[in-house]
Amino acid sequence: MSGGIDLWVVYGFLFISMYFEVFLLTSFIERRFRSKPIVSPGGNPLPKVAIVVPCFNEEKSLSSTVQSLLALDYPADKFEIFIVDDGSTDGTLALAKTFENAGRKESRVFFGEDCLSDQDASSADEKNTRLFPLVRVFHKENGGKHTAMNLALAHTNAELIGCLDADSIVEPSALRAIVPVFDNATVAAATPGIHVKNPSNLLQHMQHVEYRLSIFNRFMLAGLGSAFITPGPFSFFRAQVVRDLGSWRDGHSTEDMEMALRMQQGGFLIANVPSAIVHTGAPKTLRGLYRQRVRWTYGWLRNAIDYKHMFGNRAYGNLGIIILPSAIISIFAGIYFFARIVFYTVRELIAMVERIMETGIYPHTSFDLFYFNTSALWFLIFMSVGLVFALLCAGTMIGTEGRRFPPKATPLFLLFYSFLVPLWLSAAVVRAAFKTGVRWR
Amino acid sequence: MEQPAVNIRKARWSSYLVAFLITALMFATALYASNYFNNARIADIRATQDDISTDILSIETQFDLLAEHSCANIGENTILPSELVSMGNQLSYLEAQGGNADEVARLKRLYSLLEIKDYLLMQQIATKCNLKPVFILYFYSNSGTCSDCADQGYVLTSLSQTYPQLRVYSFDYNLGVGALQTLISIDNVQNNLPALVINGKVYYGLKNVNDIQKILPQLKTLQKAASSTPVKK
Repeated sequence: MSGGIDLWVVYGFLFISMYFEVFLLTSFIERRFRSKPIVSPGGNPLPKVAIVVPCFNEEKSLSSTVQSLLALDYPADKFEIFIVDDGSTDGTLALAKTFENAGRKESRVFFGEDCLSDQDASSADEKNTRLFPLVRVFHKENGGKHTAMNLALAHTNAELIGCLDADSIVEPSALRAIVPVFDNATVAAATPGIHVKNPSNLLQHMQHVEYRLSIFNRFMLAGLGSAFITPGPFSFFRAQVVRDLGSWRDGHSTEDMEMALRMQQGGFLIANVPSAIVHTGAPKTLRGLYRQRVRWTYGWLRNAIDYKHMFGNRAYGNLGIIILPSAIISIFAGIYFFARIVFYTVRELIAMVERIMETGIYPHTSFDLFYFNTSALWFLIFMSVGLVFALLCAGTMIGTEGRRFPPKATPLFLLFYSFLVPLWLSAAVVRAAFKTGVRWR
Repeated sequence: MEQPAVNIRKARWSSYLVAFLITALMFATALYASNYFNNARIADIRATQDDISTDILSIETQFDLLAEHSCANIGENTILPSELVSMGNQLSYLEAQGGNADEVARLKRLYSLLEIKDYLLMQQIATKCNLKPVFILYFYSNSGTCSDCADQGYVLTSLSQTYPQLRVYSFDYNLGVGALQTLISIDNVQNNLPALVINGKVYYGLKNVNDIQKILPQLKTLQKAASSTPVKK
């Protein structure tokens, strides 16, 4: 590795990554002074909403997910819940059926074409006294999340359709927070503020910090008209737009990314509502996290190839000019930095071992200030970490009520998480290059 | 908590420019800070250099005094001050870091001169006072042609730590100092590095601790006392 070229590459990647962070931060500050509210006070009548819970072997977490949906503060006759069992091999279907039955006991008014046929429409008003929304359960052969979403889409006449992964729970106010943005007729989708559900171990706490960063990014990308992911936990869509676009596709196992890119391609807007709070399960083990992130990154890379015409395309504004290119470059920058650290660390270790064997001298560290590394590279690394911390603070301000500082695990996240990320980035790049595909589980 | 966000797709060229300028300013600040601290290091070494100049004058004076005084007040360990050790280490670090090459080279020349002065003085003291100091002259190169020089440096450092009275003088073979070139000519050291001059004989190639102990059996007679010069790697 040539030292000169290596340094130029490092400085180049650092400049691009810092530029992206600065751009988001300055846009955030500018937005706080100039933005206009997109939700009009009073608003329009609440629309009918369908919430889909696709599940595959989710018997452990499904119950809390559905309970949180049943507790949503939203008129019961205005929304229905679809539990779509995507070919589970455990007790998911039986568990789902218990909610269906419970819902029917409390609910006597259904909506949706097939259900209305069973009802006496003339007596709908007096029957509109139920406590819970309709819960409908479907079972199908395993076909992937997009097929579960499409099944629900085909069975609802709701104006809005949303998704809630079966490992997530929502705050009672989330639906009322997110629905009003659709008063703006140009909005085709809206994403929530996603937090980690009950983090318990170090890995989950680090993801808890990471999700604050995602809250900031999701918020700012929406504010820049550049959201390119509509994540599974509690994103909502205008159902007719989804139908017009041809419904959900597999999208290389990241249908949420593919749908968002297709919406952007079609000229539709995607909003973000940080006050629509959802708590999602985060992998507890490194292996689980690795598999999840390989899938995400693989999907992103393959979708980026499918939608490559958007990259650098001024017609897509910030998304084409800044956001998409930066998102791709960040992957390769992360891998390069990691490879560089590994290369130099291994080289130094080998040299150290050889010297120890040769001389018998063990290295010692000097704490004399003279020997502190004060190269420009180190100052830039510190500045970059400082920028990430600023983004985390901004994400906390955006996504929480009254808090200013990110979670306590932030130092751990800043110190160690960046060493984990390249593991799945590298694997995903290799898989994407060879089109190996990825599996959910 | 922030209100919902959404926007139309449009390019924000003014924002791109502002972000670019801020990022460029951050890079400039990092470069300035790095340069500032490097200059502070150079200033630190310059201060050491002043001390060394004084030491050189002191050594020269000691030469004169030697002719008139007994050995009682001059021992093996009166020369080679701690500033020289410190400067040797600092120069090694700066040389490894790169940057300020001219300044570092200038300081290295002064450092080498002082080493030669000390070496000559110790020889005179040994003759006059009937002492038997143990010397190793070590010639190395940082030009990239000497793959074993780093290891040889560590071997000599190890020996210096084991035998504090051992006086190892390390010289950059390619340093353009007249006195050094004269020393190289006197000992007839070829450009086949690393090279060690022990008891007037030149040894080429990497020598480990055992090799040197065999070449220099007097090592076993040394006791803990003075420090040695830092060994360039």
